[in-house]
Amino acid sequence: SLLLLLVSNLLLWQSVTPLPVCPGGAVRCQVTLRDLFDRAVVLSHYIHNLSSEMFSEFDKRYTQGRGFISKALNSCHTSSLATPEDKEQAQQISQKDFLSLIVSILRSWNEPLYHLVTEVRGMQEAPEAILSKAIEIEEQSKRLLEGMELILSQVHPETRENAVYSVWSGLPSLQMADEESRLFAYYNLLHCLRRDSHKIDNYLKLLKCRIVHDNNC
Amino acid sequence: MKENVASATVFTLLLFFNTCLLNGQSPPGKPEIFKCRSPNKETFTCWWRPGADGGLPTNYSLAYHKEGEKFIHECPDYVTGGPNSCHFGKQYTSMWRTYIITVNATNEMGSTLSDEIYVDVTYIVEPDPPLNVVVEVKQPEDKKPYLWIKWSPPTLIDLKTGWFTLLYEIQLKPENAEEWETHFAGQQTDFKVLSLHPGQKYLVQVRCKPDHGYWSSWSPEYSIQIPSEFTMKDTTMWISVAVLSAVICLIIVWAVALKGYSMATCIFPPVPGPKIKGFDAHLLEKGKSEELLSALGCQDFPPTSDYEDLLVEYLEVDDSEDQHLMSVHSKEHPSQGMKPTYLDPDTDSGRGSCDSPSLLSEKCEEPQASPSTFCAPEVIEKPENPETTHTWDPQCRSMEGKTPCFHAGGSKCSTWPLPQPSQHNPRSSYHNIGDVCELAVRPTGAPATLLDKAGKDALKSSQISKPREEGKAAQQREVESFHSKTDKDTHWLLPQEKTPFGSTKPVDYVEIHKVNKDGALSLLPKQGNNSNQPEKPRDPENSKEYAKVSRVMDNNILVLVPDLHTKNVACSEESAKEAPPSLEQNQAEKGLADFPATPSNCRLQLGGLEYLDPACFTHSFH
Repeated sequence: SLLLLLVSNLLLWQSVTPLPVCPGGAVRCQVTLRDLFDRAVVLSHYIHNLSSEMFSEFDKRYTQGRGFISKALNSCHTSSLATPEDKEQAQQISQKDFLSLIVSILRSWNEPLYHLVTEVRGMQEAPEAILSKAIEIEEQSKRLLEGMELILSQVHPETRENAVYSVWSGLPSLQMADEESRLFAYYNLLHCLRRDSHKIDNYLKLLKCRIVHDNNC
Repeated sequence: MKENVASATVFTLLLFFNTCLLNGQSPPGKPEIFKCRSPNKETFTCWWRPGADGGLPTNYSLAYHKEGEKFIHECPDYVTGGPNSCHFGKQYTSMWRTYIITVNATNEMGSTLSDEIYVDVTYIVEPDPPLNVVVEVKQPEDKKPYLWIKWSPPTLIDLKTGWFTLLYEIQLKPENAEEWETHFAGQQTDFKVLSLHPGQKYLVQVRCKPDHGYWSSWSPEYSIQIPSEFTMKDTTMWISVAVLSAVICLIIVWAVALKGYSMATCIFPPVPGPKIKGFDAHLLEKGKSEELLSALGCQDFPPTSDYEDLLVEYLEVDDSEDQHLMSVHSKEHPSQGMKPTYLDPDTDSGRGSCDSPSLLSEKCEEPQASPSTFCAPEVIEKPENPETTHTWDPQCRSMEGKTPCFHAGGSKCSTWPLPQPSQHNPRSSYHNIGDVCELAVRPTGAPATLLDKAGKDALKSSQISKPREEGKAAQQREVESFHSKTDKDTHWLLPQEKTPFGSTKPVDYVEIHKVNKDGALSLLPKQGNNSNQPEKPRDPENSKEYAKVSRVMDNNILVLVPDLHTKNVACSEESAKEAPPSLEQNQAEKGLADFPATPSNCRLQLGGLEYLDPACFTHSFH
């Protein structure tokens, strides 16, 4: 009986594969793809707004005038990912690579966001506004990632699950005893979050116009 | 020697520096980069503020390097952005990368470096204002007009690929308003404004913003005139005018309808009919002429000088509508003097003063010989109402012996008021029988209610003074007003007259063929109701003179008094239906012929009917 239970669980596990959004033909799927992209764009836009606000509030409250900006150069963990930096470069990336790239970036931020929430929550006098935003960003990022994976499976079903992502190793910095170092660590994290969320948002809007509207937004 | 050279050099340098200082020259002040902007995320420009120039021409140079690069570049374009600016073209612009920029000010004295600024193009995006703003007023049929605002995005912004996303906002206000009305338009490039004040001039502005960045400045104001809603106002106005006038018309019509009678009588006073004081219609119905006459208080005939007073009494026969008149009258019998309220003032003619308590008290006790006053207990003959019993009797009896009430109408008797047009003739026929006693004949069952208006008479006495009343008084002389529908005893057959009110029994008039010597009336046969109808229009046309009937003899002979000193004329007995002779004016004329020419004023033309005022005769005789 236990064996049966185990087997049934395994079977259930395997069956939890995302069903294709469009069981039917491609025409019907176009419409659905548009909906997916619309939703994705909404999420990415929202996430960036939250990130931007969070950074501004943090900087204003904790690090204004310390000149951290000058130190937060080339310090994002996702800089290793080859992301386009202007329109021309973006237009040269293939659709597939572009989507994969977005997914990689999103994946790269799973862990940092998680720890950000944990650490801010554990702070003394945890800034409520920043904490709530961090929680929201984390949650929405997960949903965006799911959506992006769905789009990817639809547009490029042959793509295997992309395992490329940047590893974040900034947790020790968030936990440093030195206040200034710790603050800089947060500053840097939020700075990079703001930038990467903007990247994702811009990339998705590009892709939406490219894929859904055939470059005719 | 060396020392001298050294010191000289130092001295020269010091001198040079001092000279420079004295001239106010110094190295330039520190410039400051105060603004960098990217209109499209593909280029950007930075502007600096120069510091003090130190009195010397100063050059500025901008140097930058990017995050993660070590190579320092100089500004590629100092021109495009204007003075003290640096424009970064497409190939020099990178997103999501921090630029470290400095400006160096250099003059002969030296150079000064500005502070470094850290610029990420991602966060300095500010577009140009929208272009080609078009504002129109659209007026679809059956709908209110709306404002249609259309614009285009600024140039150099790539929306098609999705690289750039623009959001718009419009602002409008009436020209003289203080506050702007803001509307967010999203990503669309047109907008409808629905709530407008017609007739106003509006100002419209548009601006735009990237999905993440700064708002552009406002576009120039575009003004537009909203046409006033003339048609709507016109329609509304005309509708309200029409409604108002309709209401006013309705009110007028209603007022006229209500008071139509009174107004009509104001305009067209009815012709007074004869009134006989003390006349009892009831008795007449019964055919008891004797009693009637006695009730009237007439003992002798021909009338004496006292009758002069009686002459003022009018037998008012009203065959007009006035059912309610009847009823009112009947009600009023017990209460004499109660003012009847009815709509047809025509029916009163020479209102019976006997019924008026005031008159009774004042005047009835006084014999008044002045003929000018007429007491007119009105006998209003109503063709229809047989039941109008009416206590004429007691009144008249009480007044027996007394001179009849005289209507203090002043000098009215002597000159009979001109007869009014007999418009009311059909309606109300009055018998103006100066001698109440003479009014003997009354068709049995005649609904003519001679005395119905006893009560009303009292009131009407007050009205006697009115000219129209006098007109009625003249009318009263018309014997015709006696309704003679039934044959019965007295063939007071009168030409049938139909009242417009559809009274049940029109007044019948009987034409008097001739009057015998002894005063007998010979009446023309009455040809029946229908045949009388053609007579009807004729009736007014014929000028007929009517003579007073003194009494009715036993065999239904009318005793006429064509003139006072003629003998009684007995009317020949005729069946009522056969011969509806009317009081022939010939007879009257005959009688009158003996008279001196009747005073012209005695002869009244009343709608073609000529009336003789017996009072006149009386006077002339006396």
